Amino acid sequence: MKPIDIPTFQPRLKVLSREQALAIHTAALEIIEKTGFKMEHPGALQMLIDAGCTVTDDDWVRMPGYLAENALKSAPRQIALFDQQGNKTMPLVDGNPFYGTGSDTTFTLDLETGQRRRTNLKDTANFAKLVDGLENISFAMSMSNPEDVPIDNIYVYAFAEMIKNTNKPLVFIADSSKDIAKIHQIACAVVGGEDELRRKPFLLNYSEAISPLRFPENVVGKLIFCAQKGIPICFPSGSNAGGGAPVTLAGAMALGIAENLVGLVVHQMAGKGSPFLFGPNVSTMDMKSTVVSYGCPEWSLTQAALADMRDELYGLPVWAYAGASDSKTMDAQAGAEAMFSVATAMLSRCNLIHDNGYLEYGGISSLEMVTMINELIAMTRFYVQGIPVNTETLALDAIQRVGTTPGSMFLTDDHTFDNFMDAQFIPKLLDRSRYDSWEAEGSTDLYKRCNTEAKRILAEHRVEPKSDEILQAIDKIVKG
Amino acid sequence: MSDFQALSEAVHKGDIKTAVAETQVAMDANANIQDILDNGLIATMDEVGDRFSKGIIFVPQMLRSAKTMQECMKLITPFFQKDGVTSKGKVLIGTVKGDLHDIGKNLVSMMMEGAGFTITDLGVDVPPEKFVQKVQEIEPDIVAMSALLSTTMPSMPLTIEALRSAGVRDKVKIMIGGAPVTDKYAQEIKADAYASDAGSAVSRAKTLMGIS
Repeated sequence: MKPIDIPTFQPRLKVLSREQALAIHTAALEIIEKTGFKMEHPGALQMLIDAGCTVTDDDWVRMPGYLAENALKSAPRQIALFDQQGNKTMPLVDGNPFYGTGSDTTFTLDLETGQRRRTNLKDTANFAKLVDGLENISFAMSMSNPEDVPIDNIYVYAFAEMIKNTNKPLVFIADSSKDIAKIHQIACAVVGGEDELRRKPFLLNYSEAISPLRFPENVVGKLIFCAQKGIPICFPSGSNAGGGAPVTLAGAMALGIAENLVGLVVHQMAGKGSPFLFGPNVSTMDMKSTVVSYGCPEWSLTQAALADMRDELYGLPVWAYAGASDSKTMDAQAGAEAMFSVATAMLSRCNLIHDNGYLEYGGISSLEMVTMINELIAMTRFYVQGIPVNTETLALDAIQRVGTTPGSMFLTDDHTFDNFMDAQFIPKLLDRSRYDSWEAEGSTDLYKRCNTEAKRILAEHRVEPKSDEILQAIDKIVKG
Repeated sequence: MSDFQALSEAVHKGDIKTAVAETQVAMDANANIQDILDNGLIATMDEVGDRFSKGIIFVPQMLRSAKTMQECMKLITPFFQKDGVTSKGKVLIGTVKGDLHDIGKNLVSMMMEGAGFTITDLGVDVPPEKFVQKVQEIEPDIVAMSALLSTTMPSMPLTIEALRSAGVRDKVKIMIGGAPVTDKYAQEIKADAYASDAGSAVSRAKTLMGIS
């Protein structure tokens, strides 16, 4: 009989017990039932009243907990995001992690000068193209708040620019139900119609309520639009500890989850069974600068907790962040903070992980950071694989050969030749060269090497182009 | 000038009860109201602000001190007119039309108040006409506007334009701030100052008022 294989344990981080998860969930339900929330969208308000919510002071709503429980049941447990060519590249289910960039930065680090400067539409194009060329970055966001386009149409321009420069899935921002309708039209034009887009969505909207407990009309308008059109959406409010939410992480999570549940209820009423990516943003507000930190351990901790709550209770794929820093340059702090969140996000099995490549707490985007993070993800992926233990990997034969044959060594043994590519993590940008060769190659640091690599990808990578017909249709929608 | 050491210490600590009691003690001892305000409360808040900007104390401690000062102010404000008390300047503040975010704006308000400015807060989603109407009504020295979203930033030049049309633009100094706002943008829309955070908002406001 063949011996039974030893399964490989894949390292996994847990930060909440079941009791803790239940207590946070119960607190979230108490918030929506007892405290209530401000719903400023008249249509959503009416739906909530019809469903059994009570209203005081025109738009202050209290919601029975069972509505949230029902919505959690009707939302799909998996969201499949496709690329723009119809391939299922991001099955957001269970503990599958996917990393991507972030939205709307005011500044970028210029690739040529290294200076922090205002972002423009060309930056959106470059980031999308870079994402297209990096194997571990699964989706693109704008990474820019372009200065050089009409501001009332800014998100439509940014979306169209991403479409032209990558075929990967897109996570996008919109202002209201007006511009999101245009963005939806563009997406339909790319895949050949609304039904096709509904079957194979390649886009996910990011909208946020305002913590604490405020649901503006334009934001809820987008939520309803996405629910009706079957566009996947995430609805994380900024329930940051000490800012929009209590300073203690449990309370900040409870508030953020309560706000998410309200969003989910409205969403499922507007489109039962439509895809909703669960989870608030629970970072922390720095008590010296009042900056919402992107390099803190707190955010990594709360999203790990949320992944635990997914497994214990919710079953819905979760929204997360990683690969960002509060540092103003791509220095050691940026590397340390980025690695911390990249590694823990995967170890705790977050699903859709955005903001990779941010500096200055989301104020600066950096092509070099994104390039570095591509490699940090590879390192983490290797680690999470664990240590396969079997006859081949225990290599007793190789040990016997090398140990007992005078003059032999592992480096020349067949076992090494056969296995080294899989057995080892092979870095591309992290430098392990000997000092002399490092010096001869220009004594570069990681920032410099990422700069060179980002430039190389932008110069050499070819993005499969859209047809002229599609491009013309997009231009018409953008300018119309 | 009276000795406000106990009052000052209580404001530093954010000990509201003691600070209010000490303010009452000073008033009972017939201390000059302007003296209590300037040398008791504002002088202490200047020190608090200084300790905050040097990173010695944290935001919640600074805000507790500001709250303590506000509670003391409640006692002395009724005597302002009679005693001819003057403030550092009048500030009209609000988050611009279309924008509902107010954490940053509230921080600016509290810190400015701590520094001795008189604040009128219009809240969030403030349309240009409301800024104009309030400027005409209270004649502030400074109009301060905040926006968190890039899509609501255009409400800032619209508000400035509305002030101009109403003929009051040159009667006020205009300050702007918020996450997507930059110094360059402030220059483009011809605001008088840009501040990146609450602490620098206070120093910009002081510069605009010719005090430092």
